[in-house]
Amino acid sequence: MAEDLVLDTAIRDWVLIPLSVVMVLIGILRYFVSKLMRSFQVPDPKIVKEGQVIVRARNLRAAANFIPPKSFRSRRVYFSNEENGLLFVPKGQAQNAQAQMFSDPNMAMDMMKKNLSMIIPQTLTFAWVNFFFSGFVAAKIPFPLTQRFRSMLQNGIDLSTVDVSYVSSRSWYFLNLFGLRGLFSLILGEENATDDTQRMMQMSGFGFDPSKSLGAEKDGLDIVQHEWALPKFEHRAEAVLKKLVS
Amino acid sequence: MAGHSDSSSSEKKSTEAMNDVPIFSAENMQNNMKVIYYSRTFMSIIGGVIAGILGFTGFMGFVFYFLVMAITSIGLIAKAKFLVHSYFDSWNRIILDGFMGGLMSFVLFWTFAYDIVHIF
Repeated sequence: MAEDLVLDTAIRDWVLIPLSVVMVLIGILRYFVSKLMRSFQVPDPKIVKEGQVIVRARNLRAAANFIPPKSFRSRRVYFSNEENGLLFVPKGQAQNAQAQMFSDPNMAMDMMKKNLSMIIPQTLTFAWVNFFFSGFVAAKIPFPLTQRFRSMLQNGIDLSTVDVSYVSSRSWYFLNLFGLRGLFSLILGEENATDDTQRMMQMSGFGFDPSKSLGAEKDGLDIVQHEWALPKFEHRAEAVLKKLVS
Repeated sequence: MAGHSDSSSSEKKSTEAMNDVPIFSAENMQNNMKVIYYSRTFMSIIGGVIAGILGFTGFMGFVFYFLVMAITSIGLIAKAKFLVHSYFDSWNRIILDGFMGGLMSFVLFWTFAYDIVHIF
């Protein structure tokens, strides 16, 4: 049953390789286009200030054990003091900032542009593949799959007795789509917009709510138990200096 | 401890050699994670091509993938001179991180090489 079909060399030359090459080139093109189209957005000073305050509070929380107890406590009071502490924001005011951020036209345009630049090439390529490369066996995947995958992978092929390993070009397109992500990260260097999961993480991190994160930082700061981790610091310094001098 | 710098390797020391409380330099940690990711991606691509050329099918191919990933882990550990804790914060990072990420690239290049060499 599993005798190997011999497929035409022309399929390899004119289907597999061109499809992969086209997908790589489109990926590179998309990367450069998104780089060019990235509009520089003037950051809102209030948002930036709040972000920096959060970063400061986070640093304090992370390095709390390296400063003496009294200075840690004084810093903590500075942040979470009820009247004029930096992290304490009355609820009504904070909501406005978030609403304003979402209705800001620049940000909406940016997100839409990013979405479009991702979806359009994929759709176009998929349509092109379907139009030109349907109705024949394109490749053989080296591992066996169950019969349930047949309808998904063998879309243009109407014989039902062909082994499921022989797939149509549509599945070659999908295989390329997922597999070339790693290649793109290698040749395009740092983060590039071809990874959907990365994009979704970025989008979800975008809708950050100032008041909630401030409140979270305040709670986190309150929870921290200070443990002075460097009690023998002077002894250590003395030992190191002695070693250096002697 | 003082003046210990790795100028030739691309991994950077991420902890100071303080005995009680280890602190991590976040930037160096990130750089190390990136190095691991790139190494794994590259090795999975190469492994895919090798698997295709050698004609592995089915289960053998996936076994080969795990073998390649294990070799990558061992290589990374050896590069860190076996002092894993001064470059990463836990063993899991260097061994398991990015394991599954390279799978799709591996399968793609495996299929590609296998088809080119054996079917066509």
